[in-house]
Amino acid sequence: MVISMRRPLLSLLILSTAFISPALAEPSPEGAKVYIVWPSNGTVIKGGKFWLRMGLTGMGIAPAGTVFPGTGHHHVIIDSELPAMDEPIPNDENHLHFGKGQTEARIELPKGKHTLQLLFGDSGHTPHTPPLFSPQITITVR
Amino acid sequence: MNRTLVSILVCGVMLSASQALAAGIKRDPNAYLYIGWPNNGEVLRGTSIKVWFGLRNMGVAPAGVDQATAGHHHLIIDAEIPSSDEPIPNDENHLHFGKGQTETIITLPKGKHTLQLNFADKDHLQFDPPLVSKKITITVK
Repeated sequence: MVISMRRPLLSLLILSTAFISPALAEPSPEGAKVYIVWPSNGTVIKGGKFWLRMGLTGMGIAPAGTVFPGTGHHHVIIDSELPAMDEPIPNDENHLHFGKGQTEARIELPKGKHTLQLLFGDSGHTPHTPPLFSPQITITVR
Repeated sequence: MNRTLVSILVCGVMLSASQALAAGIKRDPNAYLYIGWPNNGEVLRGTSIKVWFGLRNMGVAPAGVDQATAGHHHLIIDAEIPSSDEPIPNDENHLHFGKGQTETIITLPKGKHTLQLNFADKDHLQFDPPLVSKKITITVK
């Protein structure tokens, strides 16, 4: 009697786990890292136009839509916190996509303090498992 | 005389046509390739050297991925840029980054070395015009 009670409970548990687990993102290998090469934290930029250099260790770049193991493409989060890690990265003025496989971007920002953070996304713009993002840096435009 | 002239002309046209065929995929004329690190003239201690690949106005894609606005990096070490009619050789002087890598760590013996980047298409062929970085010289101590 006890055993027959346990089995439905177990299958219920398995079922609920299956439903809760999010859509599978592409995996990132151990040791992979995304970082901002330039500007460095605290940089003061005159005029507000600059080239953002995006760094990637232990993986490669592929354009959006290209499924190729060990690759993804860069996204920069400007003046915003990291989005949800289990869905595609939003595409707006605070979340720039570099779906052509760019590793540098010309950015223009108004005067004041701004935060920049890189978030690497897979072929479908979803962060990898585990997700790869850089530390958030702060720059000042004068 | 006229016929000879005509055949010379025809030959010339055919030659330029075949050259046009041999030329690679047209690329963005504003694309710019450079070695972000190390700097020209850098003296480095230790034999493991990180090289960061700089690229503007084009994108990176793994070898074999058909996208005209993208290609992949090749690092030429202690050698000249190879011929533009053939795929870039794959040997210790010509490193391929066909997985779409944008940096690498190389090991070089002590002494002077030259480094140069060469960006090429999905089949390791030069773009039209070829996209190469300035050649830099570093010293490993």
